[in-house]
Amino acid sequence: MYVVIVYDVGVERVNKVRSFLREYMNWVQNSVFEGELTKAEFLKVKSRLKELIEINHDHIIFYSSRDKKYLGIENLGTPKADTNNII
Amino acid sequence: MRENFYILQDGILKRKENTVYFENKEGRKILPINKISSIFAYGNLSFSSGVVSYLSKEGIPIHFFNYYGFYEGSMYPRETLISGDLVIRQAEYYLDPEKRLCLAGKFIEGACGNILKNLKYYARNREDIQEIIENYVTSIKTELSRLIDAETVPSMMRTEGKIRELYYNALDEIFPEEYRIIKRTRRPPNNKMNTLISFGNSLVYSTTLSEIYNTQLNPTISYLHEPFERRFSLSLDVSEIFKPILIDRIIFKLVNKNMLDDGCFRGEIGNMLLSDKGKKIFLKEYDEKLKTTIKHKGLNKSVSYKRLIRLELYKLSKHVLGAENYKPLVMWW
Repeated sequence: MYVVIVYDVGVERVNKVRSFLREYMNWVQNSVFEGELTKAEFLKVKSRLKELIEINHDHIIFYSSRDKKYLGIENLGTPKADTNNII
Repeated sequence: MRENFYILQDGILKRKENTVYFENKEGRKILPINKISSIFAYGNLSFSSGVVSYLSKEGIPIHFFNYYGFYEGSMYPRETLISGDLVIRQAEYYLDPEKRLCLAGKFIEGACGNILKNLKYYARNREDIQEIIENYVTSIKTELSRLIDAETVPSMMRTEGKIRELYYNALDEIFPEEYRIIKRTRRPPNNKMNTLISFGNSLVYSTTLSEIYNTQLNPTISYLHEPFERRFSLSLDVSEIFKPILIDRIIFKLVNKNMLDDGCFRGEIGNMLLSDKGKKIFLKEYDEKLKTTIKHKGLNKSVSYKRLIRLELYKLSKHVLGAENYKPLVMWW
């Protein structure tokens, strides 16, 4: 499935969350990751994030869709990173 | 699903924050470690030893291609899927001439089946050349029927060579003049079509090798090709089946839709290669092709072309283990 993760976490944890998510997804904007995940990977990501964050303090939202094509993604301005696999 | 990453630029690959960074003057690109299936390196890449051990640990092979786009070699990670039993059986099928011949024939049979499918598909809407193509189809079928009489692998390979030659002659009828093969040449390919075929074949070869890595098969024990070559020759065997399915179809598309121009090639007739632009266009098509899914009859679900290669290898292991006779994949769609 295609997942967008948006996080708002304390500044002392923000690096940990970012570097962990980099192992699975593309960093498209500050505090926003996007990418294709399997069900198992998604569960893994969620449970690891649960360990990383302060539950009473931080907030993470997961937007998921069965396929990227069902998400109407539009861009305006200069994207932070290109997600192409041909470099 | 894991993806292949194709790196055409020069730069450094390093391990940072437990994932893989690609950096060069123009900037950096982060490859999520859990999303990499294999890396195809076309540019001048520098590696830190950290990234090499990390990729090995994760079981990700890197395939290297030189400046000209020819296959150079692979960093094949330590085998983690080991089965002594299967290796012994694989060797048994190589050593027994009858069993080897049978398997070698299967690969050619599969390749031919797909070749014929391609010809029929492209002749369907072309009334002007239909008759000529029909003739080629008949001669290919006659050659194929001789396969049963072949007593040695080299004679089988000769038959295969003849079939390919007929196939390429038939393709020359279909393609516009600019893209005629005339004669198949390698190292260096001498015209546009040969260049495209060479480039594509090396891709299939590497992809198959990556898939073999994910099975318990030993990539050096092969049946159609001799295993003594310096290459992982089992990958050459299995690639035969997929070349017409993947590469020839891509080339048809590129040519028929006029997606290539002179800027896609460099060098001159007699020594022609793909330029960076050409490589990019080809790789994009190739990547899309691998991700394309079809409905699999036996499994009753959608599988990607890449997955089909893996399934083919599973069928091969079943054959050598004596569980099920190997039947090569012939496009049914």
